[in-house]
Amino acid sequence: MSSDSIGNNEIERKDDSLLFFRTSFTKISFQDVAAVWLRNLQVYRRMWKMLFAAPLIEPVFSILAFGYGVGSLIGARVAGISYLSFVGAGVLAFTVMMRALFEMTYGAYFRMVYQSTYDAILATPVEVESLAFAEIIWAVSKAAFDSIVILLVLFIFGAATSLFSLLVPLPLIAGSLFIGGLSLGITSRIHDIDSFNLYMAIFFSSLFLCGAWFPVEVLPGVLRWVAWVIPLTSAVDIARALLTGKFLWRQVYESLYLLFAAFVFTEWGMRSLRRRMVV
Amino acid sequence: MDQFEKTSKVIYRAISASGLTKFYGSNRAVDGIDFSVLRGETFGFLGPNGAGKSTTMRMIACRTPPTAGELLVEGINVRDGGRRIRSMIGVVPQENNLDPDLSVRQNLLIYSRYYQMNRMEAASRSDELLRFVGLINRAGSRIEELSGGMKRRLMIARALLHNPGILVLDEPTTGLDPHVRQEIWQRLEELRSRGGVTILLSTHYMEEAEKLCERLIVMDRGKILASGKPSELIRESVSSYALEVRDADSIPLLPLTPGVSGTKRNGAHFYFADSPETLAPLAKEFDEKRPLIRPSNLEDVFLQLVDGGEDDCEAI
Ligand SMILES: Nc1ncnc2c1ncn2[C@@H]1O[C@H](COP(=O)(O)OP(=O)(O)OP(=O)(O)O)[C@@H](O)[C@H]1O
Ligand SMILES: [Mg+2]
Repeated sequence: MSSDSIGNNEIERKDDSLLFFRTSFTKISFQDVAAVWLRNLQVYRRMWKMLFAAPLIEPVFSILAFGYGVGSLIGARVAGISYLSFVGAGVLAFTVMMRALFEMTYGAYFRMVYQSTYDAILATPVEVESLAFAEIIWAVSKAAFDSIVILLVLFIFGAATSLFSLLVPLPLIAGSLFIGGLSLGITSRIHDIDSFNLYMAIFFSSLFLCGAWFPVEVLPGVLRWVAWVIPLTSAVDIARALLTGKFLWRQVYESLYLLFAAFVFTEWGMRSLRRRMVV
Repeated sequence: MDQFEKTSKVIYRAISASGLTKFYGSNRAVDGIDFSVLRGETFGFLGPNGAGKSTTMRMIACRTPPTAGELLVEGINVRDGGRRIRSMIGVVPQENNLDPDLSVRQNLLIYSRYYQMNRMEAASRSDELLRFVGLINRAGSRIEELSGGMKRRLMIARALLHNPGILVLDEPTTGLDPHVRQEIWQRLEELRSRGGVTILLSTHYMEEAEKLCERLIVMDRGKILASGKPSELIRESVSSYALEVRDADSIPLLPLTPGVSGTKRNGAHFYFADSPETLAPLAKEFDEKRPLIRPSNLEDVFLQLVDGGEDDCEAI
């Protein structure tokens, strides 16, 4: 290798070490984030009918199937509440996380690769960190909107029994920041849409562990630890506490852990998109 | 160089690159090139596929950082002035990237937000530009309903939204019919005559480069092969007149008379000389092949400078 290319590696390494100490959050311009977010809203608004229909269909059927169907088989209370209330939090978290997941996998891949939307945006003063953050926030916004719609459903079915329910979007927003950042990071690293299959498989399997359908406590030792490592478990647990008004101390730690995961993976998503787009 | 000359150079140079380099792994896409573009100039990038034209333009537009070397745009270093530079450059990339989910006008309006233009300004500027590129009647159309030429014109309108001082056009007319191409040339001439805007343009059409570019560089494999005014390049590299004989692969090159140079390329013979009279006797030899005597052009220069390279084809 020539001396030139060695010099080149040095430059790149120096950049990396800088990035290690400086978070991508400092490079975000909120005006730019708003501009990109509004672009997504304008495109999505054309399909306004989807806005309400999409978040409703799945959870309504899930609640009917799990809450009444499975619930009547169980007949007993799960973790001190009716199975309907228990599973309500699961359905809510599941639907909301899935929304963030799809938006930042297939949705982002589509804009990045097939429509070159990111290319067009990056020719303007908008920095890649603002773009990435706007995309993640867009996914979170959709997720938050869904969580409110589903919350209404849960009220109607009697699965939300506490006034604290109104706060239930908060842990789900943190959870979808985590999922959004993680998914955007993965999207930035794949070059073939079929590569999502593996990620989807892992995501949906892990959701089974996360206490959405049954309490984490019933899992055998190692799996229980695995479950608590996955930030979604914390999101589900906090959401359930808010829906039923029955709080535990551990939810304080869960909140901190969830915020930490949201921060780390949003950062990772932003860095990954820079690595992909600025070459 | 005295102080005055130094400062005046800085002021009048829209772009100056020295030792500009971009590697993709071990691939030297741009390999230590030096050039500068004056303010208000129309500057061309020529070269075969993979020469490094787009990569150079992407570095100028601050879409990709150089691996090494120095690159100043309006005196600002691309390494730390990306945002400022992008706010004064309008870009038409090689591939269209219009938003297919939005209408023609919405494409402009939404794009104006990335430049933090206010809504009133954006609306009037959009309509003005749609009129300029002749798309005002299609303002409500969806992107997929547009022809290739319309899309390209919309890309140009979009690049002009924020009144950029520098316009970067990567093969603006590739794949367009001659009418549309000439129309785009006319728009560019108009922009130029209004003054102020520096235009960087890459193209595979030699007549386009000859017509539009005041100066240009010919690149190949990341390096600059030649640079200068089109007329100068023609004068320096080949004699004024060319005799072109197509479809003469089986015939050996004629013995050259004094003042005549000749070459065989892609099954055709080319002979160059300073006057058509010198070439006339040679042309007689090829009577049945319909020989053509014409002034030399940029294509002759290009073909002479750049050997087949990437596109070398085997005969079947
Ligand atoms: N993003 C990239 N990753 C890796 N290699 C790249 C990338 N972009 C360009 N290259 C390589 O850099 C070299 C120069 O490419 P570039 O696109 O600048 O050529 P060009 O002169 O614009 O060619 P064309 O006339 O075909 O558009 C090529 O070898 C290309 O394969
Ligand atoms: Mg190119």
